[in-house]
Amino acid sequence: MSKFNQEDLDRLTKLSRIACNEAEKKVLFEKLSNVLVYIEQLEQIDTTGVKECNHVLETISNVMREDIVGETLPRELFLENAPSHVGGMIRVPTVIKANH
Amino acid sequence: MTEIRYEQWEPVIGLEIHIQLNTKSKLFASSPNRFGDEPNTNISEVCTGQPGALPVLNKEAVKKAVQFGCAVGARVAHFSKFDRKSYFYPDSPRNFQITQFDQPIVVGGTITCDVGGAIKHFQINRAHLEDDAGMLKHFTNFAGVDYNRAGVPLIEVVSEPCIHTPKEAVAYAMAVKAIAEYLDISDCNMEEGSLRIDANISVRLKGEKTLRTKVEIKNMNSFHNMEMALESEIRRQCRAYTLKEEIKKGTYRFDLEKKETVLMREKEDADDYRYFPEPDLVPIVLTDAYIEEIKKSLPELPAERFKRYITELHLPEYSANQLVIDKALCNYFEESLKICPNAKSLCNWLTVEFTGRLKDSDKSLSDFSGNIARLVNLIDKGTITGRIAKDVADEMVLNPDKNPEEIVAANPDYQPMHDTSDIEPIIDQVLLENPSSIADYRAGKTKAFGFLVGQVMKLSKGKASPSVVNDLLTKKLDLSL
Amino acid sequence: MHEIPAHVLTARFKKGELSAKEIVEASLKRMALHDPKIGAFLSVLTERALKKAEEIDKKRDQGKSLGKLAGVPIALKDNIHVKGELTTCGSKFLSNYKAPFDATVTRLLEEEDAIIIGKTNMDEFAMGSSTENSAYHNTKNPWDLNSTPGGSSGGSAAAVAARFCPIALGSDTGGSIRQPAAFSGVVGFKPTYGRVSRYGLVAFASSLDQIGPLTTNVQDAALVMEILGKHCEKDSTSLPLPWRAHNEHTKELRIGVPKKFLEDLPSETRENFEHSLKILGAQIVDIDLGILKNSIAVYYIIASAEASTNLARFDGIRYGIRSPRAKTLEEVYDFSKQEGFGTEVKQRILLGTYVLSSGYQDAYYRKAQKVRTLIIEQFRKAFLQCDLVAMPTSPFTAFPLNSIADPVQMYLQDIYTICANIAGLPAVSVPSGFSKDKKPFGLQLIGPLLKDAEVLHAAHIFEKTANLQLTPNL
Repeated sequence: MSKFNQEDLDRLTKLSRIACNEAEKKVLFEKLSNVLVYIEQLEQIDTTGVKECNHVLETISNVMREDIVGETLPRELFLENAPSHVGGMIRVPTVIKANH
Repeated sequence: MTEIRYEQWEPVIGLEIHIQLNTKSKLFASSPNRFGDEPNTNISEVCTGQPGALPVLNKEAVKKAVQFGCAVGARVAHFSKFDRKSYFYPDSPRNFQITQFDQPIVVGGTITCDVGGAIKHFQINRAHLEDDAGMLKHFTNFAGVDYNRAGVPLIEVVSEPCIHTPKEAVAYAMAVKAIAEYLDISDCNMEEGSLRIDANISVRLKGEKTLRTKVEIKNMNSFHNMEMALESEIRRQCRAYTLKEEIKKGTYRFDLEKKETVLMREKEDADDYRYFPEPDLVPIVLTDAYIEEIKKSLPELPAERFKRYITELHLPEYSANQLVIDKALCNYFEESLKICPNAKSLCNWLTVEFTGRLKDSDKSLSDFSGNIARLVNLIDKGTITGRIAKDVADEMVLNPDKNPEEIVAANPDYQPMHDTSDIEPIIDQVLLENPSSIADYRAGKTKAFGFLVGQVMKLSKGKASPSVVNDLLTKKLDLSL
Repeated sequence: MHEIPAHVLTARFKKGELSAKEIVEASLKRMALHDPKIGAFLSVLTERALKKAEEIDKKRDQGKSLGKLAGVPIALKDNIHVKGELTTCGSKFLSNYKAPFDATVTRLLEEEDAIIIGKTNMDEFAMGSSTENSAYHNTKNPWDLNSTPGGSSGGSAAAVAARFCPIALGSDTGGSIRQPAAFSGVVGFKPTYGRVSRYGLVAFASSLDQIGPLTTNVQDAALVMEILGKHCEKDSTSLPLPWRAHNEHTKELRIGVPKKFLEDLPSETRENFEHSLKILGAQIVDIDLGILKNSIAVYYIIASAEASTNLARFDGIRYGIRSPRAKTLEEVYDFSKQEGFGTEVKQRILLGTYVLSSGYQDAYYRKAQKVRTLIIEQFRKAFLQCDLVAMPTSPFTAFPLNSIADPVQMYLQDIYTICANIAGLPAVSVPSGFSKDKKPFGLQLIGPLLKDAEVLHAAHIFEKTANLQLTPNL
């Protein structure tokens, strides 16, 4: 396992979209490094042939609902919490980069 | 100037087609699945990513995905699950999409279609369920986000990179669209966005085994634009390689004005989607019985219909394909067959005569109910000639609610001329005016007969019954021998 | 009044001895008097509670049938939605966020005529073991105002310990109900995963979270579970089974104790634990749960991974605080998150992103999910030899505020509770005595999947036998 470094932290903050000033970076780097050292203990455990546990309740499957229109969220209620809205839409600054 | 030898290069194209399913409610939320309403009026806590909201799968969406899988002869997975795909964008309510990564519901499959007269088969890699994003509307110095579309069910159909020309791509895409329409799993409306196509394209020298760098083309909102976009991109790549330039990964769009592909953005390596199994949803487990049931209840599909049209109705391949590829047109044809059994003639009137006339009008086939079939019946009965029928058709397009019998009855010029006493004078006049043709006919030039018939029809304004004309003219010509 | 258990309170209300208005006013009065020094609540829903009390009094007067918790004031952790009220999750990000819908548990409680009295303090987004990560204020332990009440459901635990209300709901992802219950001398129960609906609970770690009750006695906890333990069609991970009460057939209980795993217990804790086992009076079996020494690593990988995606939605776009500094779209994300999240939350999001990222996912996330399977397996084997597993809830009693800075040391607070979340097992913490400095200890009982009623029953027996006096002097 390669050692965690500043570049890794920068990549993570970019992926998570969290801006950090130098002081914040320092604190986070230290905390993360400590935690990462701790969790690396899992390396030691032999898990050959062991399946991943994606659901604790293994036997439950096919939970589905009928295709019926149910309660909607009224627009006023939705926009009440919006930091900025216009014409019934959430308002954001213009997108410079293109989308997915 | 370096000459670009396009014929040396083989394009390699893969298509990703997103089909919006026409369920009543969304994939994981019970808000309405509808297009065109006021922004943010078809939303719920789930599709706006409110904290505390949880997804619940729509069983009808699963059914439609399985229907598609069965229709393309794919393997429907007994076990499939959902995964989270992380990326940040305002149209994403949770900043992760719920999709299917490594265990999709449909695996494999074949699309059979007619490409310029030849039947070709293309392989599908997989099809999976995922939820759609909302819509970003751009204004001068801000953007507005509308989540009506967020959460709408999609199946994404991914082809193998086995398409090699833009025409193949169009044929493939049209065939996928037709199947989705026949199954009634989607509106397949490219303008409204219920069918969207992205292409991945690279070129390589013919005979080259490995694949070169591919480029993504998005937002091609019509088959015609897609064909042009692919052609433009192929030329661009061939030119670049010929000039020893590099082709870099990136996303392109087709510029309608420039009529060429334009770079939207370069591919960043930071596109790490971090797929992992969706903990809020449980897997889909399908039995053989369920899959069989779906298979058995599939409606007649385009390929089957095509076969039937060739073998039972004896339609020419080109016309059969034209009909089959357009569900609305084809269903109209099927309905019309119940009224008029002359498939070939009906097909011609639909695909040539009326399609042509409707192109420039604001009306559509559905406006005519069974009237086109009745028109063909009138021709077959001999009530009107083919020539008159064209005029009647013009009138029908102007007044779709009028049936052909009414139109014919109302216009004396359309009344067919069956009476020998009416036709004879016309024939006599034509014969009088065309002695050379009589001579030609007597000399054995059968074409002259056709010419004379044509003159009679012209003089009678198309009303003379062709069979009577034939009889009378033959008699008169032979008589004077 | 504040000493009366909920099941007695509602009985007296139904009999006409007390009015709902009186009950609620008494709670509010006590809260006004003592909460300033404890800080259990983030918001007190005075108007709403009094209105509901009036309605319920009227209902009773009209002779209409009354719910199982009629007249009982209940506090909810501030990550559980009450429609129209603030849900802050103890974070600055959501300081102005009004819940647009009721959580299922809120609806179920109100259907039984319970009265929601306020939203309690918590570690931000439920990440923490002391409630010190709240962006608002610290909550003090009613037994020692210089110590934490535990976390992340510290506010709920303190509210019940201080007798502001007889019942509070918390959420438990790694021990967040049980550990504060132990620290605060109250009962805390985490149901089998999927037993209680998570609809309306702001998600931290989807495969680990459960809502559960904190109460002054086990019977009240069981009553709450009867009401909340229902299938919910809005939660796909909800158990498709009805609540099953304990059948009265009591057989000789076998209690499993992982002696090796507990070998490093501090001496006072060990003393209390062994004493508790004696009180239980059941047959003790030594079981092997050695793999649990890796449970914290497993937990932090899985919980952080899920949390990093669950919290991605907090971006200042649709709700929450958007950074006033942000001029471009990128800045809306980057600055809103920078300003809205506390350090612990940021750290866990970054950790979660790391363990899921390309090149690392196999070694971390997927590895952890495999070890998770091993943990589940080891418990399954253990339950072949015993009916319930017993452990102390926490290695320590309530620690002083601001005394733990090292994240790993803080994480180790949950060493005995985390395993129940990883395996989805029902687990309770029941008060088991006091330390020399008068701070409460908790005994933890863990049962096999779906044996919620059995766990509560055993806790009930223990509680009766231990017969502890548990109200702090405020």
